[in-house]
Amino acid sequence: MVFRVTGLGAPERRWAEERYAPFVSRRAPSVTVEVAATERYRPGRAPRPVATWSNGHFALASYPSRADGDLARRRVRFRVGPGPALNPELFRLLCGFLLMREGGFLLHASAVVDHGRAWAFSGPSASGKTTIAGLAGDRQVLNDETVAFRPVPGGFTACATPFYGSGGPTMARANARAPLRALCFLRKADRFAHRRLTPAEVVARAFPEVMLPKRDPRVAERLLASLAALAEATPVYELAFAPRAELWDYLDGLG
Amino acid sequence: MDSAEAFPLRRSVPWRVLDTEALVVDVKGGLLYPLNSVGARIWELCDGARSVDEIVGVVAGEFAASEATIRADAVEFIERLADANLVSIERRRKGESR
Repeated sequence: MVFRVTGLGAPERRWAEERYAPFVSRRAPSVTVEVAATERYRPGRAPRPVATWSNGHFALASYPSRADGDLARRRVRFRVGPGPALNPELFRLLCGFLLMREGGFLLHASAVVDHGRAWAFSGPSASGKTTIAGLAGDRQVLNDETVAFRPVPGGFTACATPFYGSGGPTMARANARAPLRALCFLRKADRFAHRRLTPAEVVARAFPEVMLPKRDPRVAERLLASLAALAEATPVYELAFAPRAELWDYLDGLG
Repeated sequence: MDSAEAFPLRRSVPWRVLDTEALVVDVKGGLLYPLNSVGARIWELCDGARSVDEIVGVVAGEFAASEATIRADAVEFIERLADANLVSIERRRKGESR
């Protein structure tokens, strides 16, 4: 996906193009984001971020910024306050909604391309996602924190995103993708071990790591279907790993 | 619980059967309930039309355990679902319509 951002002054445009490069382009966008700086901070406690979605129309709020739009028209309005011109939290939610329309989702995960196929590694904070990305060597890292999964005939594709983690901007340098080889839920250990998860385990482990407003029943319903499709199409493991480069030999042996 | 007069009904919450297991999402509480194969079957049978007695009868015909064990487990499980507000339990005599 590539986004075009309109309505920004030159300094904000430079910031957005640097922060989200190579996911922001002035040409041939998947979605156009119209930004208007109309919101201002008000005193008092900030309300919780909220998101609603109905028949393709969505509205997001992460104080003091708001976004809304019709995803079918591929045009979205961001009304932003002081701070980043494209609030990363809203931008990530927007990407989550766009993916949801096609049966995909954003997962709290890192991903590395090995022999042309992507290994994805998920888990809560400090489970080892960035550590594994750091072990990639010459292999391409799609991201160390947030990976997009899109359904394709026969499986899923893992796609890079601009939402990097503690590895910093170097973990989001390319707008690349690769067929998903497998997904692993991480556990740090002294040695390597793995166990293939059942479909119910896959969905139960992945559900909390998906970046969407899951308190909306329609969103939760759709997400269950998407994760069930992932569980059916892709091998998913629980992986105990030691932070050593032999990891890739071990993964090769999983067949 | 009077198992002949209690008719459990699933609330309208997101859920999905995966193989023989199931997951139920409590969106308000932000919780995910994994159900094993017996729990998934009981959940499916909580349609508001069957009494707890009838649910126990169906499950006893499909799983290898004594009816007494299944009854005790099913009643406890349905009560836990009710406590979590995932099912409501209507009380009526068999033959009474809702």
